[in-house]
Amino acid sequence: MSNTRKGASLPAEGGVEKGIIDFARQALKQGGFDAVLIPSRVPTGDSFAYFLIRHEASLEGASPLPPIMPVQGARVISSITRRGKGKNRIAAVMRPCEARAVIELTKLAQVDLEDITIITTDCPGVIPLSNYFEGAAKGDKLFEDASRNWNSGPMRPVCRICDKFSASGGQDIHIGTLGTKSGSILLIPNSSKGEDILNRLGISPEEDISGWEARVNELIDQRKKERKQNNDALRADIEGIDRLVEAFSTCINCHNCMRVCPICYCRQCHFDSDKMKFSFEDYLMRAEARGGLRIPTDTLLFHIGRMLHMSLSCVSCGMCEDACPMAIPVAQIFTLVGDRNQGAFDYVPGRSVDEPLPLTTFEEHEFQEIEQSYAAVSARQENQND
Amino acid sequence: MTKVLSISKSAEDGLRELLKSLLENGRVKGVVTLRKTGEDGVISYSLITNPDDIESTLPLFPLMPVNLAKQISRLTLIEAATEPMAVVLRPCELRAFVELVKRTQGSLENILVISSTCAGVYPLEMAVKGNIGDHLPEYWKAVEQGEPIPNIRLACQACEHFVPYTADITVSLLGNKGIDKETTLFLNTEKGEAIVEGISGKSREGELDTATIGQIRSKRKAEKEKLSDEAELKSLGIDEITKTFSRCIGCRNCSAVCPACYCHVCFFQTETSQHERAYYERELEKKGCISMLPDTIFYHLVRLFHVSMSCTACGQCADVCPANIPLWAISLKMGEAVQKAFDYLPGKDMEEGLPITTFTTEEFAGVI
Repeated sequence: MSNTRKGASLPAEGGVEKGIIDFARQALKQGGFDAVLIPSRVPTGDSFAYFLIRHEASLEGASPLPPIMPVQGARVISSITRRGKGKNRIAAVMRPCEARAVIELTKLAQVDLEDITIITTDCPGVIPLSNYFEGAAKGDKLFEDASRNWNSGPMRPVCRICDKFSASGGQDIHIGTLGTKSGSILLIPNSSKGEDILNRLGISPEEDISGWEARVNELIDQRKKERKQNNDALRADIEGIDRLVEAFSTCINCHNCMRVCPICYCRQCHFDSDKMKFSFEDYLMRAEARGGLRIPTDTLLFHIGRMLHMSLSCVSCGMCEDACPMAIPVAQIFTLVGDRNQGAFDYVPGRSVDEPLPLTTFEEHEFQEIEQSYAAVSARQENQND
Repeated sequence: MTKVLSISKSAEDGLRELLKSLLENGRVKGVVTLRKTGEDGVISYSLITNPDDIESTLPLFPLMPVNLAKQISRLTLIEAATEPMAVVLRPCELRAFVELVKRTQGSLENILVISSTCAGVYPLEMAVKGNIGDHLPEYWKAVEQGEPIPNIRLACQACEHFVPYTADITVSLLGNKGIDKETTLFLNTEKGEAIVEGISGKSREGELDTATIGQIRSKRKAEKEKLSDEAELKSLGIDEITKTFSRCIGCRNCSAVCPACYCHVCFFQTETSQHERAYYERELEKKGCISMLPDTIFYHLVRLFHVSMSCTACGQCADVCPANIPLWAISLKMGEAVQKAFDYLPGKDMEEGLPITTFTTEEFAGVI
């Protein structure tokens, strides 16, 4: 983040959430956008969902920083924009990991960002779905107490090691809350689209934001350390085929990790297709060859296949782990694998829509250490033939 | 009267002995049952072909990691079993498999079905916590006494169909006071009788103790009413339905694990089910505010509509729901209502056609 960036302070006496809602209301009223996509409490009060809102009055039920992530926002943006153009300019208020997934889906042609403005907020994390659904009131309080002091203790494991909880890419406007003056939030334009909108709303970002930046960077450093520690500890647990088998040994093959993943966008997963259905003879042969065949079969193959397909774009949003009925630490495993794979390509998913997906680019001189030259391979074959 | 074979070993040991001898004498080529695997002793279903591996099996362990009907369907979908197999299924799994066979999603050919009078299983959540072992003494004591078992899944607490209908061999467990010393096998079919020939044990003729079974059934029935009320599902009006599914996160895992949901591609995964942007904008124009978990209730109603005739109330849907929705209760309620209307009990009889594939000129005159 360059030092030349500026922000605009907005009053938020009623708390961060109310400050964001007030901004959204003002923007709707002034025609900054035609609709707001924002998490809101469901009418029964025991969960949250994204609502697309046009009437200012409906913003009353909005909850821009809900205690849980029931659905990954990038999937919602994809549902809205994947089929056809619209007339409404929509502002989407979401968490940073959701915005990064939106960027990945844009690159994968599953999102159309035209007419969409992404607004993110500094994110204290979310608590696990399983905790929240034990009792909403208890869950609300747990989250409120923890998020007020940026205590990541009760948050999901993958939130506790998140180093991209702030303006980490994809947003047109970011809302800074960490270390800002109490009773205020900081609006920071992050793209020309964001600048234009603030301009149109008569909000001029002229304030120095270095205090917020310093606090954010401090927490990023701390989280990076925690992320490394978690990755190292997990690596000791899962590295090597035997440990990997053990890590996924309780998997019931429900594929819920895949269905809630924002990056797993295939209309039909290979692992749900007829290609993965085999003849009785085949299953029996495998059982005989291996001394027993675990049922359901091919669970590890599924996870490795999924890893191969989405780890470069994995934003560590944690949906997979939250939705796993067997509490397998899928999101932490994917964070470990993702960090390594993404690091190899110096790629940060969601950082910028202009950065191409590593697998769609070709560089002549990369990964030579794992390359075999054609000459060497054919020479070896000739030797064998002799 | 049914032929009965008693093996003088505890129920699980006796069953293991039976499975081992079937593999040893080549009467079956494979066995599918629960087995302890890996260093952590994770319990999964397994297809076993080597008699020596039977030692590591736990055919009566009170856990249902997946509904085995769905798995046996997968094993026999492309072709029927080409070799004889023994499969140890719970009554609800067996009923679900029979329904799948009726729907041409699997085959019973070459399958020896072994089931038991089932006391129920613990929730997956307890397998995750790893504390099922602590509950086993209490579990087996209650099984012998035919008493309700605390902490088993709600679907099991409310289950009335705990006696298998179409098993070749039934292991008598519930309310059987001798299960720690003796394995009692009811040989319900000629196949069941023939396959145990030569296996050492005492033969006699008998029936399951109907008085005990009846008592357990009425306890379960009462429990069902109570639990159903607790799930706030006295009726299935639109208010109850809306409230029940308010927490749904749209993951469709209920469908993924359901043995009755056998469609290879669910309608709700298809392009046809996806809305165009213009649709959302029209709705927004009309209502001013729309939920972006669209069609949640539509999905659940369509699913219930599709599966309720064959729903065996196995409870797997509720067990895997990340939002803790009491899906077992709603499936059970809906299933019972639909099945009663057609006087049909899913999985009870292989020969009984699915009601929607049969036509009776005189039925439902009132709604025509």
